[in-house]
Amino acid sequence: MEPSHSTLESRGSFMLCPVCKASIRTRLVSSREELHCGRCSHVLIKGHRTTTLQPAVALSITGLFLVILANAYPIMIFEVAGNSQENRIITGVLQLGDQGYWPIAILVFFSAICAPALYFSSIFYVSLACCLRKRFPLAKELADIVEVINAWNLVPVFAIACLAAVVKLKLLGTVHWRSGMLWIALLSLCSILLSQAFDKNLVEERLKNLR
Amino acid sequence: MNASLRLELSRGFVIAGAILYIPANILPVMTMTVAGDVEHLTVLGGVEELYDSGLWPIAGVVFLASILVPFLKLLSLAWILLLDGSEHYRPHRTKLHHMLHQIGTWSMIDIYLLAVLAAVGQLGVLASVQAEVGGFFFAAMLLCTIFATDLYKPEMIWNNEPTGPTS
Repeated sequence: MEPSHSTLESRGSFMLCPVCKASIRTRLVSSREELHCGRCSHVLIKGHRTTTLQPAVALSITGLFLVILANAYPIMIFEVAGNSQENRIITGVLQLGDQGYWPIAILVFFSAICAPALYFSSIFYVSLACCLRKRFPLAKELADIVEVINAWNLVPVFAIACLAAVVKLKLLGTVHWRSGMLWIALLSLCSILLSQAFDKNLVEERLKNLR
Repeated sequence: MNASLRLELSRGFVIAGAILYIPANILPVMTMTVAGDVEHLTVLGGVEELYDSGLWPIAGVVFLASILVPFLKLLSLAWILLLDGSEHYRPHRTKLHHMLHQIGTWSMIDIYLLAVLAAVGQLGVLASVQAEVGGFFFAAMLLCTIFATDLYKPEMIWNNEPTGPTS
């Protein structure tokens, strides 16, 4: 892999650790290698994990479709004595809101619906700008938002919560899985793969070169 | 936002979180009505029920994420904030803070469990799930620990003087 421009520049020079202010001698880092601060182990320089952002574009557009599917199809059908109730992600939000617990409803709505949608669409936008080598407005700002939103993208946690809920419901009645659960599982997988494929340092460098 | 304001807010959120931790664990999170039987479930009660039904891996995850992790998080944040400005254990505190930042939002599992159960529990006396006030305290406690962690920056651990009062 070609050593990147910024790591070549900092070869053999010193830099201040932004966390503990220790002076650290920098060196060239290869891909997948990280230079840690010797005192506080903060990551100073990250080697590029990939050289291309095409997988990030592909995974994020896949994720966007999966977000729509996961929200559109019911997750499960719960049946007791001939009466049944199906649910989507939004059903729980609306139900909690109806019962007067709207702060919890907002929290669930934001982290289970908005955050994944925002996460995938902002990565798609930013990676597409890099791949097409075009200047898209607000690309730099969106790249910063990705980091914050990533912490709130809790689809894998939601998937495990669904499993735990089914264990409880099986004691009370019959539970039938519906396709929504499959879309949620695939969406979790897609989120995990995308966090590997999206290299923020590479994106920042590409965006800087465009300007 | 300057360092002293960040420290004060972070301290406030840790104290608020510690206070909220008590009602979050004592008060019921939900009421389940099954065939006329009314059952009030606390967070720990829900874990017990999962364990009794034989699925201890899921019970373990829920116990870790919703009881142990918030407790340890509050405890270690309190330790980090108390040692602000001191020279002891600086690398340990930095590593611990980084870890707390990583595991931040996993405790949301209990809130999601409540949302999924409330969604399907709309069958009247046969099976219904009603959210209770404990869930509100739990969510508030969770947000307090997340805000407290994010407000205190690891850079502040390495300041040589204790962070002074707001001037």
